[in-house]
Amino acid sequence: MEFLLENILNLVGFLVGLAIGIMSYIGFRNTGSPTLFRLSIAFFSISAGFFIIWSGYMVEDFITKTGSIERWIQTLGIAIQTVGYFFIAFSHSIKSFFPKSSYFRSVGIIPLFLVSSVQLEHIFRSVSFILLAYGAIETMLSYFENRNKGAISVAVGLGLLVLGEFVGWYSFVFPESILYSVSMIIKIGGLIALFIPVSKVPLTKIKFDDLE
Amino acid sequence: MAEYRTHMKIIGEILATTRDDLQDEDGASVTYLIRKANISHSRISTILKTLVSQGLLEKVDNQGFNKYKISQPGREFLQAYYTFTNFADNFGLSI
Repeated sequence: MEFLLENILNLVGFLVGLAIGIMSYIGFRNTGSPTLFRLSIAFFSISAGFFIIWSGYMVEDFITKTGSIERWIQTLGIAIQTVGYFFIAFSHSIKSFFPKSSYFRSVGIIPLFLVSSVQLEHIFRSVSFILLAYGAIETMLSYFENRNKGAISVAVGLGLLVLGEFVGWYSFVFPESILYSVSMIIKIGGLIALFIPVSKVPLTKIKFDDLE
Repeated sequence: MAEYRTHMKIIGEILATTRDDLQDEDGASVTYLIRKANISHSRISTILKTLVSQGLLEKVDNQGFNKYKISQPGREFLQAYYTFTNFADNFGLSI
C-alpha cells in the first residue's frame, strides 16, 4: 500500500511540477518576466526531484529488489525539491528575512558541523517544510489583497504539502500506524490543488481583437 | 498608500492605453501616455524607445509630433501579458 502511494505521489508530483514548469517557461518566453523565470526553475526542480525518487523506486522494484529505495537517491530527490521550494519562497521576497547581523551569521554556520550526525534527508525535509509554510502564508495573504480565487487553491495546495510533511514526521513516532499513508494522500491532494488553477490558464485562447 | 508597480506592469499599462484608450486614430501622444501611465517623462521616453525597437509600438509622425500606436506583435504581447499576469496571481506573485 505504501509503495503504491509513494509511486502515485512521486508520479503526480513529477507531472504537476512539469506542467506548471512548462507553463511558467512559456510565460517567461512570451513576456520576459523574471518572476515567471523563477517559477519555471522552481517547478522544474520540484518535478525533477519527484522524478528522481520515482525512478529510485522503479529501480528498486524491477532491478535491485532490495526491499527499500537507495538512501542517497531519496536524499538527492528531496534536496532538488527543496531547491524548487526555495525559489517559490524567494519569489515572495524571502531575501528580506535573511539574517543580517554577524551574530546570526555565526550561529548559522553551526548546523554545518552537525551534519555528520543528522541525516541530510531530514534537514532538507525541515527546510522544505519552512519554505512551503512561508509560501502558503504569502499566497493566502495575496488572496486577501487581490481576491483571486486561484490563489486560494495554490495556498491550500502548498498548505496540504506542509501538513503532509508534518504528518509524515509523526509517522516516525508511530511507525506501524496509518500516518505515513495518510501523509502521502494529503500530499497528493496538495499537488492536485496546485494544479487546478494552472489547468484553467487558457493557452489555446490566443485570440486577438480586430485591428480595424 | 501608493501601489508598487513592476516595470512589466507599467509596460502593460502603456500598451493597454495605446490599444484601448486612444485620443484619436493617429495614436497616443507622449503627454497623454505620461498622464495615463503616471510616470516621468525621462522614464517613459526610455520605455517607449525600447517598445518601438522591439516592434511592440509603432511611432507615427503627426505634424511634427510623435504619436504611438500598438502593433500586431504588441497586441499579441499584451494578450500574453494578461494571461500570465493571471497565472502569476494564482501564486500570489506579480510578473
